Amino acid sequence: MAAGSRGVNYHWNWGILLEPSPDGQGTYLDMLLGGLRWTIVTALCAWVVALVFGSAIGVLRTLQSRTAQWVAGAYVELFRNIPLLVQLFLWFFVVPELLPREWGIWIKQLRYGAFYTAVVAIGLYMSSRVATQVSAGISALPKGQRMAGTAIGLTPAQTYRYILLPMAYRIVLPPLTSEFLNTIKNTSVALTIGLMELTGAARSMQEFSFQVFEAFTAATVIYLLLNAIVTFGMRALERRLAVPGFNAAR
Amino acid sequence: MSMISMRNVSKWYGPQFQVLKDCSVEVEKGEVIVVCGPSGSGKSTLIKTVNALETIQNGEIVVDGVTVNASKTNLPKLRARVGMVFQHFELFPHLSIIQNLCLGQEKVLGRGHDEAVAKAEALLKRVGLSAHAQKFPGQLSGGQQQRVAIARALVMDPVCMLFDEPTSALDPEMITEVLDVMVELAREGMTMMVVTHEMGFARKVAHRVVFMDQGEIVEDALKEDFFGTPRSERARNFLSKILSH
Repeated sequence: MAAGSRGVNYHWNWGILLEPSPDGQGTYLDMLLGGLRWTIVTALCAWVVALVFGSAIGVLRTLQSRTAQWVAGAYVELFRNIPLLVQLFLWFFVVPELLPREWGIWIKQLRYGAFYTAVVAIGLYMSSRVATQVSAGISALPKGQRMAGTAIGLTPAQTYRYILLPMAYRIVLPPLTSEFLNTIKNTSVALTIGLMELTGAARSMQEFSFQVFEAFTAATVIYLLLNAIVTFGMRALERRLAVPGFNAAR
Repeated sequence: MSMISMRNVSKWYGPQFQVLKDCSVEVEKGEVIVVCGPSGSGKSTLIKTVNALETIQNGEIVVDGVTVNASKTNLPKLRARVGMVFQHFELFPHLSIIQNLCLGQEKVLGRGHDEAVAKAEALLKRVGLSAHAQKFPGQLSGGQQQRVAIARALVMDPVCMLFDEPTSALDPEMITEVLDVMVELAREGMTMMVVTHEMGFARKVAHRVVFMDQGEIVEDALKEDFFGTPRSERARNFLSKILSH
């Protein structure tokens, strides 16, 4: 209702994007593109964290050791079952207080503290989801594959490296694409700890210019374009890694 | 000294279910042993204990002088010397045929790439698949895949070969091409332990037949004796069922 009545009187002004912003760094569009840069850098770094930790935990879940399975299971449940926003606040506000005083002060004085915190929080949160995908991919392989690798004399590590993981990643590439997109979208929560990523920049533009529709329409279009590029890229990767005859074989 | 020596081997799944009951088998160098028996009799489990793909709780297994179930045994090193062929081939689908044959040579035996490729090509020629070196497993027929799997085991220069129902996942018209390769291998003097229901193969090249039922070795006899006059009731029953058609 409010939006409707406001809509009637709303004064559209797309030219606002090319007007100088009060931060003195250029136009409002430059401000949004600066936000986009933070979104991309944060998402890429968090995605690397998610892939590295997610793969390690995913592998642990498929080992025969009960301890390894338990540790990996606990990790997944911990990071998957606490809301991302809460995790972000825990890393930003609580963890520095729990550390020795000097470390806490050092962390709070970091120049890009919000960025590092966002990378760690989003990266670890997403790693629990990646771990679930990776272990599902490994479990989807025929049991004989592990045996065949073992039988020619490969060590367990080599069996994972050369046989199980290359196929597992291929199998879960489509769901991993979704997780990558989720990582990009989840960077928007970092505005709550002061990271000027795309959503933060859009909100800031709206506060300065009062052109709320232009600000968030522009941000929406930029998110859509970014994720379309990622989707397109991942599809290309899927085609590149496709195993000849594999689908026909099983 | 036997190539493969299994003495009083027992294995349990959980506290109750005993899959192998006090099994003893000796396989001499150059001997071909066929292991048969009804499904669930433990024959696949038995040959998988030889290269420790299955662990055992009791008894002793010695392969070419190495005690398999000793804690200090370097299992990867031992397994590299024991070739194994599986029911479902288990080629590595993301690797080309030639890469399938080079992986173990390079990563386990430490051979250089050129040496590994030369060896792989020689073995592919031997199983009649030279033309398919650059293809992927999914592009080959079942029979061709199983021949590649045999070649993949042979490139490691094994001292003996284990076959776990190598033809039971194949379409009938492809069984012969795989058995031909195995017969040739047997005639060249390879030590082989073969789990199979192909009694034609057993008659042709086996030296001895081991008959298993419910985790026990019921009969361990020379081929002539086994097909002539099996001593046990259970073996007679089994034979009459699989030979009746």
